[in-house]
Amino acid sequence: MKVVASYNVKGGVGKTTAAVNLAYLASARGRRTLIWDLDPQGAATYLFRVKPKVKGGSAKLVGGARPVEAALKGTDFHGLDLLPADFTYRNMDLDLARSHRKAGKAARALARLLRDLADDYDVVFLDTPPSLSLVSENVLRAADLVLVPIIPTVLALRTFDQLAEFVDTLDRDRPRLHAFFSMADRRKALHREIIADLPRRREGVSPTAIPALSVIEQMAVRRAPLPAYAPNSPAARAFESLWSEIAELLPA
Amino acid sequence: MLNDRRTRGFQQVNYNRPNSVRSSPGFAAVPKDSHPPSLHWRGEPTRGEAEAVLAALEPVTASRYELSVGPRRVRTVTYLDTVDWRLRGKGLVASHERASGPGTLTIDGDGVSGTTRLTELPQWPARVEQLPEGEARDGMASAMWVRAVGPVLRSRAVTREVAVLDDEGKTVVRLDWAEVTGIDPVATPPLVRVSLWPVLGYGRDAKRVRKALRAAEGFADVDGDLYDGLLTAAGIVPEEAAAPAITREMPADVAIATALHGFAGVIAVNVNGVLDDIDTEFLHDLRVAVRRTRSLLKLAGDVLPPRLVARYEPDFKWLGDITTPTRDLDVYLLEFDALTAMLVAGEPDDLAPFGELLRAEREKARRTLARALRSQRFTRLIEGWQAALAEIIDRERSEAELSAEALAGQRVRRMVKKVVRRARSITPESPSESVHDLRKRCKELRYLLEVVKPVCDEAAHRAVIKDLKKVQDILGAFQDGEVQSESLRGFAERLQAGNRRPPAATLLAMGELSAGFVDMQLRARHDLTEALERFLGPATHERIKALLP
Repeated sequence: MKVVASYNVKGGVGKTTAAVNLAYLASARGRRTLIWDLDPQGAATYLFRVKPKVKGGSAKLVGGARPVEAALKGTDFHGLDLLPADFTYRNMDLDLARSHRKAGKAARALARLLRDLADDYDVVFLDTPPSLSLVSENVLRAADLVLVPIIPTVLALRTFDQLAEFVDTLDRDRPRLHAFFSMADRRKALHREIIADLPRRREGVSPTAIPALSVIEQMAVRRAPLPAYAPNSPAARAFESLWSEIAELLPA
Repeated sequence: MLNDRRTRGFQQVNYNRPNSVRSSPGFAAVPKDSHPPSLHWRGEPTRGEAEAVLAALEPVTASRYELSVGPRRVRTVTYLDTVDWRLRGKGLVASHERASGPGTLTIDGDGVSGTTRLTELPQWPARVEQLPEGEARDGMASAMWVRAVGPVLRSRAVTREVAVLDDEGKTVVRLDWAEVTGIDPVATPPLVRVSLWPVLGYGRDAKRVRKALRAAEGFADVDGDLYDGLLTAAGIVPEEAAAPAITREMPADVAIATALHGFAGVIAVNVNGVLDDIDTEFLHDLRVAVRRTRSLLKLAGDVLPPRLVARYEPDFKWLGDITTPTRDLDVYLLEFDALTAMLVAGEPDDLAPFGELLRAEREKARRTLARALRSQRFTRLIEGWQAALAEIIDRERSEAELSAEALAGQRVRRMVKKVVRRARSITPESPSESVHDLRKRCKELRYLLEVVKPVCDEAAHRAVIKDLKKVQDILGAFQDGEVQSESLRGFAERLQAGNRRPPAATLLAMGELSAGFVDMQLRARHDLTEALERFLGPATHERIKALLP
């Protein structure tokens, strides 16, 4: 089982969009897939039409009082399940710290929970909240690959650099970082320039750019992954090519 | 209740097909490879029309849900099995589904499931090696063994997938509406079933939907799957029709005629399979029935009219003899891969010319056999024999006749004595002929015991057969070793005499095989002494005593 996190310290950069669409594509290509919506706002959960409720909440889930399997929900798509968001996830940092006295254990609690699902899934996507917290550290330690959506601007790149530096400080469980351009607007010269230049200069940056298109915004209206309702749209094709890159990085 | 969501999720998204759902962790509420709860619809068939299906499922919407209906699918489903129901015996259902194009081959059942997309229309019957490679073949191979699968029943299936949606528009239960009509070998009225596929994490909704349907008029719980229902509707009985068994009270001649009539039925039923060369087991079963017939005529034929026995005994010998060459070659070819694997010095490819010779000789032998089975002699033999036996079975009976039980006791005791006498006379120095003779007598005893099984003590019978089987296995290995090494010599000579002289490596490899067979014979000879000691010991004696009153 491989764990892929969709992560960025910044909010509104397309983390949920990427996690939902890539999870859908992974399952459609035959991988048994789970997506865990760790964001208390529950956007991914909403997109799959599932109620944002986990019995026992964050405390019982991360504390191990209730098995992860009991919280799973089948989505409307073959081979794709969801571990829904819950509003109590806003306290997950505290719950992690409370239920694991040693700091090392607290930072690896999510990885341990995911281990219980190793026989059931080939790939798990983590949709994360925008923060740098104990939950984030858990995510980075649990992940084999961290997908970092970046808007092609200088400031966004700086954030990616900061994340890379942080990951370098991890003593072990260091994930691979894979950035891709999100919300790319080809009408803007700076976007075009960065998209053309950066992947050549910087390792771990994908040449694939997900365009900023209204068809993606419609996901919230349709409450479905983009490739499910607009499989031939340029945006869906961009996600397809991003998934192909990821699939190569994560051999089945 | 119809609404604007009726087609959401079906026209635009990748809707899960229930038969693929089982392997998905998303549907873990249904144990993998099990069947979902199904209900039978007693109302009018809907022909899969959306309005009619939704109307029938109305009780679901009355509780709290909405329904979203998927596309109507029509396909032919051909259920497959071997002639002796091997797949069914292992709890497997194989089917060829087709709407357009060559379709798919699917296997489903106890711990096994798989689908293979076909690239060309399959030809039935088909042996394992004739099936397309893929999951379906892998799932069937072991259960099929060397037998071919062919159509059991062809049906037309009209299906609709219906999603049960909650107030978020989320699918919480999947319903599979199926109307299946038998087409061939008999037409059956449509069977209408609705299967409920729970979605992971929505078990409570599944229970609620099932309860609503069960409470509604028109739905009833149902046992067994659609295939079972279709077989019943078509009047097809999956178990091999057992030959009528003999009973204790039957007059001796009637009992023997009944058993022989059963064997004649087995011969008759396997002829077409041999002629069409469907698989090698048709011939094997036919030969076993012939051997059983000859054996029983020898051991108890004296209770039948002497003229009848005199008339047919030579014909059954003829029938046995004409089937031998093809069967011997079948056995070689079935074992060919194992033979090549036996080679230590030689390479597997070295035996290729030998394989070609076997196939050519087999084809020739089979043609000769087919001519014999199409001959008037064979037709007269089977028809005349069955008619004569039927007359004996149906004859008037009187009370003062020798009963089947008395005859069984008499003949089994006599045969046991004969076997024991021969077994006792075997020493490590005994010639091969004596061992072969013992093997034949053991076989006759085994056949006799199988015929008189219904009049024996069940536990003692099982134990005696087990003892006998152990000895027979060793005797069989001894015989095989000798016959095979001798026949290899004959094959080698024919290869040499042929137009294309074989490479030296082929003859060397055959020599290696021959040495292996001699070694097998020597080992069997060594094991025999110990096995006979056990067989002749007091335990077997006690069991034989307990066998018959």
